[in-house]
Amino acid sequence: MKQVNEEYFMQAVGNADEINELLRRYGVKFGIYKNGVFNEQFFPFDPIPRVISAEDFRAIEKGLVQRVNALNEFLFDIYHDKKIVSDGIIPEDFIYISKGYLAECEGITPKNKVYSHISGIDLVQAKDGEWYILEDNLRIPSGASYPLIARELTRIAAPQAFSENRIVDNRGYAELLKETMEYSNCGGIRAILTPGRYNAAYFEHSYLAEHTGSVLVQNDELFVEDNVLYQRTYSGSKTRIGVLYRRIADEYLDPLTFLPESLIGIPNLMEAYRSGNVGIVNAPGNGVADDKGIYYFVPKMIKYYLGEEPILKNAPTYLPFYDEDMKYVMDNLEKLVIKDVAEAGGYGVVFGSDLTKEKLEEFRKTIIAEPRRFIAQEVIDFLDLPILDNGETVMRKADLRAFVLSGEKTKVWASGLTRFSRNPDSFVVNSSQGGGFKDTWVLSQ
Amino acid sequence: MGTISIEHSDRLYWLGRYTERFFITLRSLDRLYDKMIDDKYGYREYLVNFGLNDSYTDSLDFIRSFLYDENNPNSAAYCLERAYDNGIVLREEISSKTLSFLQMAKDTLTKSQDKPNVRLSLLPLKDILYSFWGSINEHIYDDEIRNIIYIGKTLERLDLYMRMRFPFATVEKEFIRLCKNLHRVPKDTPFRYNTKYLSILVETLGTREDYEKDTCKALKSLGHLFDAEEVRV
Repeated sequence: MKQVNEEYFMQAVGNADEINELLRRYGVKFGIYKNGVFNEQFFPFDPIPRVISAEDFRAIEKGLVQRVNALNEFLFDIYHDKKIVSDGIIPEDFIYISKGYLAECEGITPKNKVYSHISGIDLVQAKDGEWYILEDNLRIPSGASYPLIARELTRIAAPQAFSENRIVDNRGYAELLKETMEYSNCGGIRAILTPGRYNAAYFEHSYLAEHTGSVLVQNDELFVEDNVLYQRTYSGSKTRIGVLYRRIADEYLDPLTFLPESLIGIPNLMEAYRSGNVGIVNAPGNGVADDKGIYYFVPKMIKYYLGEEPILKNAPTYLPFYDEDMKYVMDNLEKLVIKDVAEAGGYGVVFGSDLTKEKLEEFRKTIIAEPRRFIAQEVIDFLDLPILDNGETVMRKADLRAFVLSGEKTKVWASGLTRFSRNPDSFVVNSSQGGGFKDTWVLSQ
Repeated sequence: MGTISIEHSDRLYWLGRYTERFFITLRSLDRLYDKMIDDKYGYREYLVNFGLNDSYTDSLDFIRSFLYDENNPNSAAYCLERAYDNGIVLREEISSKTLSFLQMAKDTLTKSQDKPNVRLSLLPLKDILYSFWGSINEHIYDDEIRNIIYIGKTLERLDLYMRMRFPFATVEKEFIRLCKNLHRVPKDTPFRYNTKYLSILVETLGTREDYEKDTCKALKSLGHLFDAEEVRV
């Protein structure tokens, strides 16, 4: 905080209502299903920005580029020679049992060998200032649009906060995304595939389509003919799609390859992709690399593929799959956080300290019965961030989702989504769990 | 052009229709508010125009329902919600700025419910809608896209004006406006007019006498204006 001009910094805080009003006006929402009913909620914005110093950001940037490059190498390897398995770095159990591993992607090389075009890497800063990676999201990480539009509107509501502080302009995300999509374009227009208006992240889909100049499409507008993907137009003609930034999960992408009951997929899309006629952003099958179990091995991947020491640390993690780790987990369950590897969005996260004695014993048995299903992590003492709560400043847990885009080069967006928990006793920051977001200022010097 | 899908062309058309229906409903209710100062049952003629029964306890009940009841398909709130439903899936075509005016309209309408003078609190809605249309002109570069929205808008206006028995001079102006938009539609696209029904409209809206005599026929033809042409062998 000392590196920013606090007087003007507080200008943003003083205009909190105006900023939230503008965000509301621009429809910054996310959808949530509760008891089977769809509700759209405004994503609460906190005006006190997270500030990351230029020096900190340089280190984070370097670490993230390294990590994502290694993950891309891993994905290529896993769907081809699997050297990392044959060399004994990762046990094969962790590959083939992973829900994210898709045998249907074996042998496919996406254009320019990029698998994870947009990586959402979740980090937390501990009280000692050290940054830790919490998880990698390499399938369809969402959230970039929120800080993007928030910055646009905050600059209107609190201009001096920006003129008096040296903050890197983050408004080039759409351009970066466009470049990334173009790098994987196999000839045709850019399109963003959405499951539709009632998807939780629909605002983001449409906002990014608007700002990247891509066409926002749903499956019923698309078809594959002679292994080429087309959009059906209203005049009866067809337009070729060269790159598809899909915002639907792998298993729903193509009913002829994956789930036959999928109503939101495009028949034969995988054939078009396999033939190299369309780029799919992110590549199907990436789930094998962002599996919470694989997370444990990412530092090993960095050494294996890049021959480098990892710059960013993982949160200390234990795999009950290994006997030694199982023993540690059993002995320390009450102070660890346990994550179900198959869950996402803040679900399947259990803090041992929150469980009663009976529940703890019950959970212990579940872990012993299904060791591959869980990972255990030390609870990191997050650095709390100030947020404004009914006019008062209170401290809350927050994380940072950094966005790393892989095109010709791997680039880290100098911003990110800082999410915070509104509940003082919670570490869970996901919007679906009631969390809010704030702007992330990366200082230029 | 070429990248607009059938689904989106339909959404564009209904965005135009529902936004206009919202605007005209609002304007009509504003007039009724005024009329009901002198005649507490002044709203009944409006119901008759649309073939609706008077099931309202009083004028306040009527106004509440036609302004705010989202379950009443003739209410301003219902029309605005449908306009928004169509607009939200068209963000990349109409722009976030344009869409933001619909969100503003929704917020203004909702907030007006709690204001002591509803009529006064609804006044900014007109400005918001004029801004919406200004934004449509400003931010949509593709003439075909803009034209589809305008076809929806002008067709809706013509339809409502005829149902509300507006004077011939006003209806005629709107019909000419619709014809201009229709002539910009490329062949073999969904909003290309059906020659047969357009001819009937030209006939029935040719003179004041014809209009007064054949309003029902004109309304029916308007409803079939985009039916596919019959193929003659």
